[in-house]
Amino acid sequence: MKKIINNPNDVVKDMLKGMELTYGELKYTPELEVISRKEKTKKVGLVSGGGSGHEPAHAGYVGYGMLDAAVCGNVFASPSPDRILKGIEEADNGKGVLLIVKNYSGDIMNFEMAMDLCELDDDMIDMVIVRDDVAMEDSDFSTGRRGIAGTVFVHKIAGAMSQRGEDLAEVKRVAQKTIDNVRSMGMSMSACIIPAVGKAGFEIKDDEIEIGMGIHGEAGIYKKSLMNAKDLAFELVEKITNDFNYEDSDVALMINGLGATPLMELYIMSKEVIELLKSKNINIYKVFVGNFMTALEMAGCSVSLLKLDYELKSLLKDKCNTPAMKNME
Amino acid sequence: MKITTEDYIEYLENVAKRINENKDYITKLDATTGDGDHWVNMNMGFSKILDSKDELKNLSIKELLKKIGMIMMSTVGGSSGVLYGGAYINASKKLGDVDFLNEEGILILLEAISEAIMSRGKVEFGNKTMLDSLYPAVETYRQKLNEKVPYEKLLEAVENSSKDGMQETKNMEAIKGRASYRNDKGVGHLDPGAVTMYYQISELAKFLKIKI
Repeated sequence: MKKIINNPNDVVKDMLKGMELTYGELKYTPELEVISRKEKTKKVGLVSGGGSGHEPAHAGYVGYGMLDAAVCGNVFASPSPDRILKGIEEADNGKGVLLIVKNYSGDIMNFEMAMDLCELDDDMIDMVIVRDDVAMEDSDFSTGRRGIAGTVFVHKIAGAMSQRGEDLAEVKRVAQKTIDNVRSMGMSMSACIIPAVGKAGFEIKDDEIEIGMGIHGEAGIYKKSLMNAKDLAFELVEKITNDFNYEDSDVALMINGLGATPLMELYIMSKEVIELLKSKNINIYKVFVGNFMTALEMAGCSVSLLKLDYELKSLLKDKCNTPAMKNME
Repeated sequence: MKITTEDYIEYLENVAKRINENKDYITKLDATTGDGDHWVNMNMGFSKILDSKDELKNLSIKELLKKIGMIMMSTVGGSSGVLYGGAYINASKKLGDVDFLNEEGILILLEAISEAIMSRGKVEFGNKTMLDSLYPAVETYRQKLNEKVPYEKLLEAVENSSKDGMQETKNMEAIKGRASYRNDKGVGHLDPGAVTMYYQISELAKFLKIKI
């Protein structure tokens, strides 16, 4: 393992301390591993969180027009209810708090437990669950679809609605609308190493890629031989457009790097995906290219498509100013 | 039988030892279908309980169980932490102010733990989880207690049904957690959560036998 760290067991706290020192507007609560806005606002509070290792998610999205607090678990492990309670406390401005949770059993259980323990009135706290990964079938019986990079759209849109001063029900409504209209599909080219474990738990061969692998290295739906960017774009987009109809719609597109893939390659993917979407009569309203939701040093990318109506477009355009996403218009 | 706070702590020490001894086995099981951190997390939780021993031994049973729940929740983390945490907190509530645990008290404890795991985890017996080595043990305990089976025999039966439940997870399909994302749903592999739960039941049966 070759990593820029001190002690493998301290990576989360060292990182969060580093974020606090880097960004003066962020506050770090040690032990409970919460990053929140230093300045209290008068709006609905937005809290997200989950295992660490997906940076800049979620702490990088704390700030004006997006989240109020991010609760960080250990690497790839859900934060515990006491941490989440602290996040809720930090985000609460008396206008209600919305929890944005990715669909993993550990995250759901811990966030639900925190809601049960939380002293806010029932109508002052609510939760939405992001399940955008089309690699797997959705299901009421099993955990079902995972939440991946599409979650960042939920942060942006719910954050904008809250920043406009709307109430909890309205903020939740647009968060849910975003969730209902976003789909993602990813692929990986290399494994990643959890610092405390010290070695990769799985392997991807040099000439192979894994389609549909999760952002914690969960096995994908199939392995394929390495292919060119054009074919890869087709592979990922096809899976998304077969699941949801985007034809003749306006969309926001996100090309997300998993951590070790250079921007050069992400822009190549962007070119291929945009050309492909145009040929399918899908109108691209806004494109995001970068590392938005990573999996440590895994190589690979995911493609997310969000179908936009007038309201979502306008919320997407609103100003935001966070370490990992800025929109200054 | 009278199980006091100090007895219960002694039992937890036995569990901590059993888990500690099986590091490689549990880690390997979990690396096959999960991300290989189950042993680390469970070991961390039980070590923390042992570190807090001096503080714990002055608590009532009710306070002890609640405190164990809080420690498990924040120290173990992930899914196991919230499940064990919620389970012990529920047991604390269900038992209320008792001075010790007798045969019926142990049943209330086990039922409360099982109930909490089922409702928080939204799982049933047969879903390839920690519940699979607990649920049959609780059922056996209740049944044998009703039938007034000698306590030693009861404990043997409880241990056996927990072990059978654990072994049965090898044939089950996972519907929750990371193993459920695999194409084979983890079939052919034991569930590591069911194994560490079995250790707890097995140590409990052993410990209670001495205390009859």
